[in-house]
Amino acid sequence: MSIARVNRLSPYMFMAPAVVIMAIALIYPLGYMIWGSFRDWAPSQTIGEAEFVGLKNYITLWNDPNFHESLTVTLKFAFFVVSIEMVIGVGLALLLDRDIRGMSMLRTMLILPMMIAPVVVGLMWRYMYHPTVGTFNRTLDSLGLPRVDWLGDHALMSVIIADIWQWTPFIFILSLAALQSLPRSALEAARIDGATAWQQIIYIKLPLMMPVLIVTCLLRLIDAFKVLEVILVLTEGGPGLSTEILALRISRTATEFRELGVAAAMSNYLLLLLMLLTVGMFAFTRWQEARAARIRALAEEDS
Amino acid sequence: MLKSLRDISVAGVAATLLAGTALANPYAEYEGTTVIVNFPAHPHYDAVMRVLPEFTKETGIEVEVDQLPYLKMRERQTLELAQEEGEYDLISYVVFSKADYVFADQLENLAKFFMNPKLADPSYDADDLIDGYVQNIGVAGGTKGYLPGPTGSLFGIPFGSETSVLAYRKDIFEKHGIAEPETYAQLLDAACKIPELEPGMGGMASRAASGHQASHAFLLHLAPLGGRVFDDKWNPIINNAAGVEAANALKTIVDCGPEGAMSFGPSEAANAFANGDAAMFMDSIAFMPGFENPDRSKVVGKVGYAMHPEGVRRGSQTGGFGIAIPKNAENKEAAFLLMQWLTSKKGDLMVAMEGGNPSRFSTYQDAGLNEKYPFSATFGEALKYADPDWRPIIPVWGKINADIGTTMSKVLTEDLDIQQALDGVAERTRAVMDEAGYYTWQ
Amino acid sequence: MQTQRGNAAFYAVICVMVFMSIGPVLLMLVNSFKLDVDIISGTSGLLFLPTIQNYETALCDVLWYEPEHLDFCSLKFGGAFVNSIIIALVSTILTLVIGSMAAYALVRFRFMGRDTVSISTLMVRMVPPAVLLVPVFGLWNNEFCLDRDGLIGGLIRDTFGGRGDVCLAGTHSGIILIYVAMNLPFVIWILQSFIVQVPRSLEEAARVDGAGPFQVFFLVVLPLIKPGLAAAAIFTFRIAWNEYLLASALSDRNTKTVPILIVNNMSEFNVEWGVIMATGMLLAIPPIIFTLLASRQIITGMTAGAVKG
Repeated sequence: MSIARVNRLSPYMFMAPAVVIMAIALIYPLGYMIWGSFRDWAPSQTIGEAEFVGLKNYITLWNDPNFHESLTVTLKFAFFVVSIEMVIGVGLALLLDRDIRGMSMLRTMLILPMMIAPVVVGLMWRYMYHPTVGTFNRTLDSLGLPRVDWLGDHALMSVIIADIWQWTPFIFILSLAALQSLPRSALEAARIDGATAWQQIIYIKLPLMMPVLIVTCLLRLIDAFKVLEVILVLTEGGPGLSTEILALRISRTATEFRELGVAAAMSNYLLLLLMLLTVGMFAFTRWQEARAARIRALAEEDS
Repeated sequence: MLKSLRDISVAGVAATLLAGTALANPYAEYEGTTVIVNFPAHPHYDAVMRVLPEFTKETGIEVEVDQLPYLKMRERQTLELAQEEGEYDLISYVVFSKADYVFADQLENLAKFFMNPKLADPSYDADDLIDGYVQNIGVAGGTKGYLPGPTGSLFGIPFGSETSVLAYRKDIFEKHGIAEPETYAQLLDAACKIPELEPGMGGMASRAASGHQASHAFLLHLAPLGGRVFDDKWNPIINNAAGVEAANALKTIVDCGPEGAMSFGPSEAANAFANGDAAMFMDSIAFMPGFENPDRSKVVGKVGYAMHPEGVRRGSQTGGFGIAIPKNAENKEAAFLLMQWLTSKKGDLMVAMEGGNPSRFSTYQDAGLNEKYPFSATFGEALKYADPDWRPIIPVWGKINADIGTTMSKVLTEDLDIQQALDGVAERTRAVMDEAGYYTWQ
Repeated sequence: MQTQRGNAAFYAVICVMVFMSIGPVLLMLVNSFKLDVDIISGTSGLLFLPTIQNYETALCDVLWYEPEHLDFCSLKFGGAFVNSIIIALVSTILTLVIGSMAAYALVRFRFMGRDTVSISTLMVRMVPPAVLLVPVFGLWNNEFCLDRDGLIGGLIRDTFGGRGDVCLAGTHSGIILIYVAMNLPFVIWILQSFIVQVPRSLEEAARVDGAGPFQVFFLVVLPLIKPGLAAAAIFTFRIAWNEYLLASALSDRNTKTVPILIVNNMSEFNVEWGVIMATGMLLAIPPIIFTLLASRQIITGMTAGAVKG
């Protein structure tokens, strides 16, 4: 084999393993799932043996009140988690944006929750939420306050709190990185002009951070739809369906009710939803950017 | 020196003797075989784990146990049993899995083992097995497919089977002059009186967590209150007056129960009782030995045991586990020997002494057991009223069970109207039954 | 004066944040050394007799002695821990090698624009593991199998034992394959931004000296992107180490990983808080060590993902 030929082939050789693996273990399964979602499919059958039922699984789900509830719970969970985490994370970053000693130490402490397994996070919080032996109710007891039924009446809230605990540092660290890479000159200029701290934040810092914040928000949003283990360990989706997010319902449909076809259809609905959200957010940012550019252009014409 | 020489010769003689009698030892052929079993994480099977080394010592058959929580165990088995060749030689199954597995032709009919003179132990005494359990857990194919009847045959042997009894705090009940509840009215009355009399203590600890647990708790009250899930023609009647009453009873119990009762699974409920947070606990007998164990219980010696209270009839649950041999097992004969050994008079008593649930009448009559666990007599009595039809064990039950469980949990937490909720269950159940073909013959 | 008070408030906020983020972890650590009686009875605080009994229970299958308080060893934590280590390490190494090669090809040979790569990465990242559950379960159990009577399948059965056809499900390789696939897009994306910064002249020089493309890549490029590799490695390891759902669908009793064991152990009959906390702590230790040793790389990885992307 000549050297030239090796050189010509080498890009393909570098790419090949990754392409093969992604094709076998990611693309093919996704296609397989779409195919399976049109079938009445039990775990003991191979897909060929399963009966083709057309859109039946999709229609059943569309009319299934439990699926609706689970969808609502998922959207609520994602909305509250992302918005609260964004507010707290960005707020803290703005508050703590100055040079201090021990900042790297602080960051280390803050990324700890993110690194720990969701299963472990779930069990830590399950202990803390425990109605009698848990940390929270014990503290309330010793303060003479009434106990709270964390995982009963307020299950969704409790689950959201646990997620906020784990992931707010992510947003904090990203926003802090974005803040510290802002052009110092713009901030200097504002300070000289006598802008108050609030004005600086609203008119300079936040708009300049926007691109990073949008990506961060998008990443968190995507991850919020992936949460499963924490909720599984904390509440197993209960009480009722009050914390049964879609990911959990898919896994229950597949393993507990043993309806792979329905689970596959549900997975497709979830994928569609995520796709819509991502595309929607991209479109929104493009539109925002375009609008900002137009306004800037107008402002320049005026002056 | 001399002594060791003698030892060696004795050993040698023993070895020759053993070799000579090898044909007479039914286990010899399987010596060294490893039987892989799938057991649930459950007090009864924890007791079994303590007894298993004895089996290996006696027979030379090794046992490897895969212990899983019982709902996980069911998922695992669904997958394993569907394979052409499975991993497990012996499985323990939850009673409601009986329908699925037998329907899918995944369990061995036990007749051929009991017919085989090389395997079947003539002193097994099957008459001594508690008949209600055998019918409910082991036999499939009779009346309605899951009840006893002439067309049924044996697929499993009850092992770790349970019925329900009421555990209550004798000290608290005496202190306030409350009588041992014998009827549902008394039970519900006591359940709500106690939180008033004993601030900080709940009335009764019960399962209530969403899904299987809430459904179990509801059905537990449904049978004694005169209800059923289906009538004789498979029409759902879960939404009749008895159904509403049972749901009301469950709601009352949970409302007057200890802190956090809505998310209790059985272990949380049992822990609450053991910790002194509730005055009553009505569930499987499997939990009761734990209350007399000072390591985990603060109420040792203060607990009274009574029969499941009477509604319009007596009807305690029948549930728990049976053991069976999968069709796709590798060492079926050795698995049968283990099964037979565990459920023999000797094995059953050994397991019971370690805190397991007996499956034999003779075990309940054993003096040693009654001395160690004073409540054994009550349990024996409760068995007479065990109701094999408190829960329909049909192949589509899993789906209906999940629906009842979710709906009940909503009733408990979201104040759904009970009649409306049960009407919804009945309607969805009818659709499921229709699709499964239960109305074909009407 | 004003700034001093400001500073005090500032440090107070920091203290509260640190307390909140590591408090639960410390609580778990403390509880893992308590007996269940102490945990339940609520003699709270630090006044208790620490015991390693919970760890003994958890690790009973790998201990060289038999703990006195146990009648039998039901929790096979040691085996699961070994499985977790094998799966996490192998999938991390594979992902890094394959991913860095692909990233290199994408950057140097201009396969696609970086935008295309970014968007497809984002698309793949969007797929929740729960969505993969059904197809992976079906494929790994039924389709990705070798016939037991076939040449290779028969060979595997003869060598390793086991029953039935040889399928990916229930093997370490099956779980590793899906983890590699799940992590590849992210690793490719992160490593690209590091490879771009490698000066081309170095590669040219090596090539002039007669090195082939693979030598150039492994001997020149890889050493230069070590920080990126470290960041990518930690993220991949973290996912492979912590993942529960897919592993629970694919593993059998011999290939269980630690998260599965922990979820199973939250069994309905006996919540043994002490032992659960001990297993949780053991699972959390490797990520905690990584965090303490390599927090800079982790933050690089995180910010590279969002800020540069």
